[in-house]
Amino acid sequence: MTMHDALRRAAMLVCAGSTLAATAACDLSVTNPGSTRDQDLNTPSAMPALVNGMSGDLSYSLGYLAREGSVMTDELRESGTYPAMGRFDQGIIDDVDAGSLWDNAQEARWVAENGIDRMKQVLQADFETSPLSARAYLYAGFANRVLGENMCDAVIDGGPRQSDSVYFQRADSEFTEALRLAQAQGVDSLALTALAGRAQVRADLGRWTDADADAAQVPADFRFDAIFSTNSERENNNLAYETTTRREVSVWGTQWAATNADPRVPWDTLFTSAGVVQKGNNGSTPFFRQKKYPGVDAPIPLAKGTEMLLIRAEAALRDGAVPAAMGYVNDERAAYGLAALDVSDADSAWTVLQSERGAVLWLETRRLWDLRRWYAEGRTTFLEGRDTCIPISQAEQSSNPNL
Amino acid sequence: MRSPVSLLVLLLAGPLFGATANAQQWVGEQPAARSPRFLLASSAAPVPVDARRVAALRRRISLDLPDATLDEALAAISRQSGIHFMYSKDVVRLDDHVRLRAQEITVAAALTELLMDANVDVVLSPGGQALLTRHVPPKEARVQNGTVAGTVVDSATREPVAAVSVVVDGTRLGALTDDQGHYQIPNVPEGAHTVTARRIGYGKVTLSVTITGGAQATLDFALPRAASSLEQVVVTATGTARKKEIGNSVSTIDADEIAHAPVTTPEQVIDGRSPGVSVLSNSGQPGSGGTIRLRGTGSVSQGNTPIIYIDGVRMYNGNAPTDAMSRQAISPLNDIDPADIDHVEIVKGPAATTLYGTEASGGVIQIFTKKGAAGKSRWTARVSQGINNLGHLGGDQNPTGFFLNECRGADLVNGLGVRFEDPTCPASGSWLRDGYVSRYSLATSGGTNAVTYYLSGAYDDESGVISTSRSKDAGFRGNFGFTPAPHLNLKASTAYTRRDVSWVADGDNANGFLLNVSRGPSGSMKGGGCSDPALVCVTNGDILSMDNATQSDHFILGLDATHEAFGHLTNVLRLGYDYARARDKAVTPFGYLTLPSGRMFWREWDQRLLTLDYASTLNYTLGRSWSTATSVGAQMFNSWQTNTGIQGQNFAGPGDPTLESSSVRDLTSDLDQHVINAGFFAQEVLGWRDRLFLTGGLRVDGNSAFGSSFGLQAYPKVSAAYTISDESFWPTSIAETMKLRAAYGESGKAPGAFDAVRTWAPVSAENGQPAFTPDQIGNPDLGPERTREYELGFDATTIGGRVNIGLTYYHQHTLDALIPVEYPASEGFVNRQLENVGEVFNKGLEVSVDAGIVSRPRFDWHVGVNYSGNTNRAGNLGGQSITISAISGEYVREGYAVPAYFGRVVTNPNDYADPVFAEDQYLGAIYPNKIIGLTTNLRFLERFRLSALGEWQLGGHLLNTMGYSLADNMQIWPACYAAQHAMAAAADGDSSGLGSITALQRAQCSTSSKVKAYTLWVEPSDFFKLRSVSLTYDLPARWLGGARSGSVTLAGRNLFTATKYRGTDPEVNDQGDNQFARRDYYNLPPYRTFVATLTIDF
Repeated sequence: MTMHDALRRAAMLVCAGSTLAATAACDLSVTNPGSTRDQDLNTPSAMPALVNGMSGDLSYSLGYLAREGSVMTDELRESGTYPAMGRFDQGIIDDVDAGSLWDNAQEARWVAENGIDRMKQVLQADFETSPLSARAYLYAGFANRVLGENMCDAVIDGGPRQSDSVYFQRADSEFTEALRLAQAQGVDSLALTALAGRAQVRADLGRWTDADADAAQVPADFRFDAIFSTNSERENNNLAYETTTRREVSVWGTQWAATNADPRVPWDTLFTSAGVVQKGNNGSTPFFRQKKYPGVDAPIPLAKGTEMLLIRAEAALRDGAVPAAMGYVNDERAAYGLAALDVSDADSAWTVLQSERGAVLWLETRRLWDLRRWYAEGRTTFLEGRDTCIPISQAEQSSNPNL
Repeated sequence: MRSPVSLLVLLLAGPLFGATANAQQWVGEQPAARSPRFLLASSAAPVPVDARRVAALRRRISLDLPDATLDEALAAISRQSGIHFMYSKDVVRLDDHVRLRAQEITVAAALTELLMDANVDVVLSPGGQALLTRHVPPKEARVQNGTVAGTVVDSATREPVAAVSVVVDGTRLGALTDDQGHYQIPNVPEGAHTVTARRIGYGKVTLSVTITGGAQATLDFALPRAASSLEQVVVTATGTARKKEIGNSVSTIDADEIAHAPVTTPEQVIDGRSPGVSVLSNSGQPGSGGTIRLRGTGSVSQGNTPIIYIDGVRMYNGNAPTDAMSRQAISPLNDIDPADIDHVEIVKGPAATTLYGTEASGGVIQIFTKKGAAGKSRWTARVSQGINNLGHLGGDQNPTGFFLNECRGADLVNGLGVRFEDPTCPASGSWLRDGYVSRYSLATSGGTNAVTYYLSGAYDDESGVISTSRSKDAGFRGNFGFTPAPHLNLKASTAYTRRDVSWVADGDNANGFLLNVSRGPSGSMKGGGCSDPALVCVTNGDILSMDNATQSDHFILGLDATHEAFGHLTNVLRLGYDYARARDKAVTPFGYLTLPSGRMFWREWDQRLLTLDYASTLNYTLGRSWSTATSVGAQMFNSWQTNTGIQGQNFAGPGDPTLESSSVRDLTSDLDQHVINAGFFAQEVLGWRDRLFLTGGLRVDGNSAFGSSFGLQAYPKVSAAYTISDESFWPTSIAETMKLRAAYGESGKAPGAFDAVRTWAPVSAENGQPAFTPDQIGNPDLGPERTREYELGFDATTIGGRVNIGLTYYHQHTLDALIPVEYPASEGFVNRQLENVGEVFNKGLEVSVDAGIVSRPRFDWHVGVNYSGNTNRAGNLGGQSITISAISGEYVREGYAVPAYFGRVVTNPNDYADPVFAEDQYLGAIYPNKIIGLTTNLRFLERFRLSALGEWQLGGHLLNTMGYSLADNMQIWPACYAAQHAMAAAADGDSSGLGSITALQRAQCSTSSKVKAYTLWVEPSDFFKLRSVSLTYDLPARWLGGARSGSVTLAGRNLFTATKYRGTDPEVNDQGDNQFARRDYYNLPPYRTFVATLTIDF
């Protein structure tokens, strides 16, 4: 950007009039090459970076949620020195500690939804045929799904407090639109992603029949990831960073520490030179290191075919079809090379389903929602006496006049 | 991004330059031989001047002198013209009777008539004086220049006074006294002169002398001690002025005060020596910069460091970027060698800084370095040797001093009985050492009447108390003065400093040295090599294998031209350039314990600041009683800053790495910005009988950081200074001098360079693909915050000039304060946006007392006390509670100190019961609000001098994060051991031990996440520190082998601290990116320094 012309002219006159002004001093342009003005994004050439930004903001949000959300649930235990993590571990989720989780997730949603509006304005009719359009809707849909599954309330664009289901409804519309565009453009991978995402949120909305229908179209080996990278710190998988470079969260003390043979829940143990199990950064908690994300570039799944099988299983179970449900469960287990389970009664099947979802979706930011909805139905007790979701951030509450 | 300010600057400047040019083309058309000649005083011989071109001589007067003595006639002309005549009865026959009746004749005509055949010439001086000297016919005139020489001593002690400026009035002839008080001024024109001796800290003395026939005249001075002499000249935005003319307080720190004190930085020079000045030292790592505040905290978002001028050149006033590993930063200010400082002037608020424009609301510090004077070369060599020492940390309750004092032996155990061993502990059994200190400097000065010089060079090498901690710097300075033509003075000042700092990883950092050492068996460095496998093995010495360094260069250039025309008009044009560069390098070597693949961080930062400054002042008198000074001027500051950071990780193998040898590279920062501030000012000073001065002024500024909808900013000022002790009714028996002063002024602070613009930040995503993310919301109406201040006070001298008292009350109101306002994250932008919505109040009282307790030839004792009290609070913040750090409980909130701690408190702290909590309570101001400085200077047994400086800083609070963290589940805070054992027993069913444990102890020492909180560890940071003590012995001449003088000084710094704060030191600060608030997070504390110095002048 450049300085206002009037000041530039005036300053040039001063410069020229001063007998002592060095030549270098006459370079009076004001520059800031590090930032991009908002209006400069209104060009078709900026659209790819805009959509990449949607992906980047979603990944950034997920990386922190995977780490901090893991100790809000039964996935990991806090073993470090971050005070907020200690409170999350104890089931205390307040609007200050969890403020950045709210902010990052909301930013990811707004960037995607606002970006779609900008793309339509800039691309006009080309929006329908742009390969970026379906991706943009997918990021908007997943951002809303993440919000709905983790936040207690919905707030949209500075509006009033609403039910968390609002996020799922927006996501449902966005996945539907992504599906339409992907199918129209013939991009099968994006169409499958849209179906998988829509199956997730329709299940979240309790529309199990619709969810089952979408999930049925997604193959078991399908996977769509949030991308992380070693390219820059902002692109790092934060959970991986805090368990490789540091020792802030540990598998020790969770249900998963009982066995180390499940390929869906990989972890290992580090020993000191004296042969003692290493402690976490807090110096007291044994450090069992998660290995699902072995490096800071490890992706976090947003949707997987194996989850689709579990959605179908839960839909069947809710419909009383235990054998069908177990069939989907065992299909899922087979996909990981695990032996089939033989369960015939509904209660046992529910136990299996809950455990399977815990394993399949381990550290993928999904557990809080599962525990929360099952707790509401009286099926689990882990959240007993604990906060069950992330509240609206203190910053949002204090700055949003509609709250 | 605003305004054609600079055009106005040019329009103002142009005519004045034109006037200056014409003024140099005087042509002497002289009256007949019997009439007096009109001459203009110059540095050489007086030069003839055309009376028709001199305004004072052109002025028309009316005289009715039917029969008057010449003395009476001259007085009559003086009354109407404002010209002050000086003459000797040996030259002018004052009793001669004259007669003259005329209406509307010029002063020149009147003088010509009255002095016809009087055999005198009229020599005009720039100050509006006219000296009547014996007439020398032009054809026979051979300049018989003589010499004035003598000695200047302290009137009380009769000790010689060095560095006294002795000037022949009305000329540029002058000299500085040497260490024996001697001076010599050659080439003084024949005739009668007045000669004035001035020195900061003394009252001015003017004596008469007559030079005849090229001879040398002896003129000795005895200067009275007067620390706040009203005749003392200080530098203002418009030029120079006497203190008696200024309506606001100005603090001056003279080189004498620090000549033998153990100060190594300008921050240490100003610390504790002036009311209203707060300096906190932040860290015990050599090379780290401190925090400076003048009159409290006035800005929430735009920094509170005063702007700094060095010899009139604006320099970067902030710290360099914080080093990532040490969490400390160097300060370019500290590149100025205190040995080069002649004096420092401090003006503290908008009432005084209005004409400095936008950015000056936090006050102004002006540093003036030493200059040369006519005379032979004088050399000063100084050598210092000493040590830095930390002493014992943690008090008696912590026998190992957080395992820093003691890292070997049976005491290495935590509160749970877990023992540990560290095979990397030094052989001494302590991580601490005595750091070696050496300093060398050499300076020379001298010159002629036309050219003067001051040259100096210095080398400092200071090792810290941890083995890899060190700061080295080397630099030089050259100050030059030229007088190429009468009334034109040119100055050039330049300085360069190179600094190399080796940091210890410190503070809020997983590799922090104190963090890991103090955590004992719970530290992160779990290595091998221990002798006892049953013990926890830590290898904290591995941290010292990291290479964390900052290298900086600092170059300053100042060029200024001062021209005096007509004896009334002074023009000053100045060009300044300040260049500061710092390069941070932090290398975690390949094979490092917690990061085996290694990492390297590299940052290049530079800051350039170009100053263009023009000021013109026209002085004239209106009759005998009134005088005026009209000033106009303009400045433009061009600021460029770049900051590029790159990080590389995963080295292929061992060796000295480069970024290229890393397999993963990350550009962590990339900044390149340019900001312009331009403005002009006008000021009028009206004086009455040299005792009452009324000042009005206006500053108008534009700034490229203002929003696109924002225009120019105007800042007004008015002030009054009244030396009431000049009135006949004043009872001088109570106070010999008394100046009352009052001032009102406004100033501002501009927002950041691009705070007004809505922007997106380019980032990478999708594995290195270009992407955008929301950056800043922007606000086109964004403008500067504006601070209005009034101050009232007085400066007085009493008890025979032995006690000087200054008192100032000030009240500041910051309007349109730039507050970082939160917007709903649901609207997409999570970064706060600056808005002009806030207000901040500061008020306070500043008192300084300087007393000469005893003044005898062999015993002289002075004591100085200064007190600053500041009440600071945030007013309306637009309903915002501004979070500095939610985790640390640092906020800015309406009605409370700025900034302050808020959080959880125990409401029944002293009860022997479970704690009862109240949440989100006000815990206290972060910055001290009462500061008391105490100085004493004692000369005894003829050759000994003892100086000391002590300082209290009260009212502040500091988060003792170290206490919180160590008392946490690491259970390594000895003061908590009893409470934790009792609580553990109670959890097992035995509550008998809880009876002696208070609620506060139970809360602070709890390991439960539901109980513990950082803010339970916010503690008062009140302290007294004995900042420095020095004892100097002046060497006898017989030991000096021909040298002019010499001395030996033994000095200590930070010798004693009294505080109830339980962290390592109440001054430490973990410097993150935001240095607005403070917290203690495992930071190495300031150390003690003992230094012996030999100084030789020759």
